[in-house]
Amino acid sequence: MDWVYIYKALPDLMNGLGMTLLISGVAICLSLLLGVIGAALRTSGIRPLEMLVTGYVEFIRGTPYLVQIFFIFYGLPSIGLKLSIFWSGALALTIWASAFHIESFRAGLAAVGQGIRDASASLSLKRWQHAWFIVLPLALRAALPSAMNTIVATVKNSSYLQAIGLVELTFVAVDRIAYEFRTVEMFASICVIYLFCVFILSGLGHWLEHRLNRPFAGR
Amino acid sequence: MMMTAPYIAQSSTVEAPLSVEMIGVSKWYGHFQVLDSIDFSVRRGEKIVVCGPSGSGKSTMIRCINRLEVHQQGEIRVNGIVLTDNVRVIDQIRQDVGMVFQSFNLYPHLTILENCVLAPRWVKGVSRKEAEERAMGYLERVRIPDQAGKYPSQLSGGQQQRAAIARSLCMNPDIMLFDEPTSALDPELVREVLDTMVELARDGMTMVCVTHEMGFARQVADRVVFMDRGRIVESASPNEFFGNPKEERTRNFLSQILH
Ligand SMILES: Nc1ncnc2c1ncn2[C@@H]1O[C@H](COP(=O)(O)OP(=O)(O)OP(=O)(O)O)[C@@H](O)[C@H]1O
Ligand SMILES: [Mg+2]
Repeated sequence: MDWVYIYKALPDLMNGLGMTLLISGVAICLSLLLGVIGAALRTSGIRPLEMLVTGYVEFIRGTPYLVQIFFIFYGLPSIGLKLSIFWSGALALTIWASAFHIESFRAGLAAVGQGIRDASASLSLKRWQHAWFIVLPLALRAALPSAMNTIVATVKNSSYLQAIGLVELTFVAVDRIAYEFRTVEMFASICVIYLFCVFILSGLGHWLEHRLNRPFAGR
Repeated sequence: MMMTAPYIAQSSTVEAPLSVEMIGVSKWYGHFQVLDSIDFSVRRGEKIVVCGPSGSGKSTMIRCINRLEVHQQGEIRVNGIVLTDNVRVIDQIRQDVGMVFQSFNLYPHLTILENCVLAPRWVKGVSRKEAEERAMGYLERVRIPDQAGKYPSQLSGGQQQRAAIARSLCMNPDIMLFDEPTSALDPELVREVLDTMVELARDGMTMVCVTHEMGFARQVADRVVFMDRGRIVESASPNEFFGNPKEERTRNFLSQILH
């Protein structure tokens, strides 16, 4: 292992990491939002909406991620929607992650039982008050572990976006390998960097889980 | 607040205005009739105990009073207001009617105090300070002021149920519905919840309690109502109900639960 080579490549790698974090961050925020909205629609009781969301989830989960990326990057311009590489990538990542978040939050919503709904009704809470003060916090807690998995996977999957030329971490490594052939050094480096990101994120997730679960810890 | 003298059921409430009126109320689940022409009324200040075998429609009946269930035939009036699909009517009635459930149904992510403060603040528009003062007042009445900052899971079942009673009282209802409030409790915790309910009765609350605690019925009830298969089979004062039940089905039921 050529440590000096890795050291010299670090500034490039850090630039790539910056892009990885930026696009992942954008996609994580947007997909969480879409996940909550999608789960709400999916359990709205309005059949066409429910079927639409279900169809969306099934489509995304049933097709290869790389195909989805190419579809957005090469397909959308041909129907007149031209996005930059960054926004194509962010869109692809968001669309993919949303499908999984919808599933998590749907399960979270199901965790709020009839008894709690009865309590809110008997206290004459309005629907939005019940949704905001009771259902949302309870559903988010219940969904947190699986949502954390999706968040971590979002960061890892941003690596696919090198295929459309987004200069993120994996792109930087592959690009250098193409003309300097330090395959082991480069792949080892980005693996360590990805692992580090995942480690931080999981730690954050566990901390949050622990904090939010305090009320349920019992005596 | 201490329990001094035992509560004596009052029969002087006969002239009081009607709090709840059910006239010919029926309800079906598909082809299955849960409620069969229920005629039932509660006067202000009255305490009614409803009992009957499992599946006889007790929960369904009292849940119709605050529209947790929708009846399909007949009329329900609460404090003179006819219960309809109108959201504002339902809202009005729910503000007048408190309910306590078998499984407590406290909000698990909120402290006991937050459980008590939420609805008064957002539904009644009470200020935070006033809502908290009111909540502490009721938590003292149910003797758990020291638990105010804890989460429901940190309390015993009996304490949780008393917290649920306090939460309900914080809305200043004038009718309280209880659906088997002690059935989910360990035997040694039943008494503390019943004591709380006896005190509430003594303070003049109008109460409809679905319960099989016959000691409580004897002590507190103005009337005991026996339901079977969606009908009210018998309705009488506790003395008559326990001493001289008219109906065969009532006698069978009593012999089962009193051993
Ligand atoms: N959502 C529902 N759909 C179909 N049947 C129902 C539903 N809810 C209740 N039932 C049926 O209606 C009947 C009356 O139920 P209800 O809960 O009112 O009885 P209960 O007297 O309170 O019984 P328990 O003592 O077990 O609480 C039962 O036979 C029950 O199976
Ligand atoms: Mg019941």
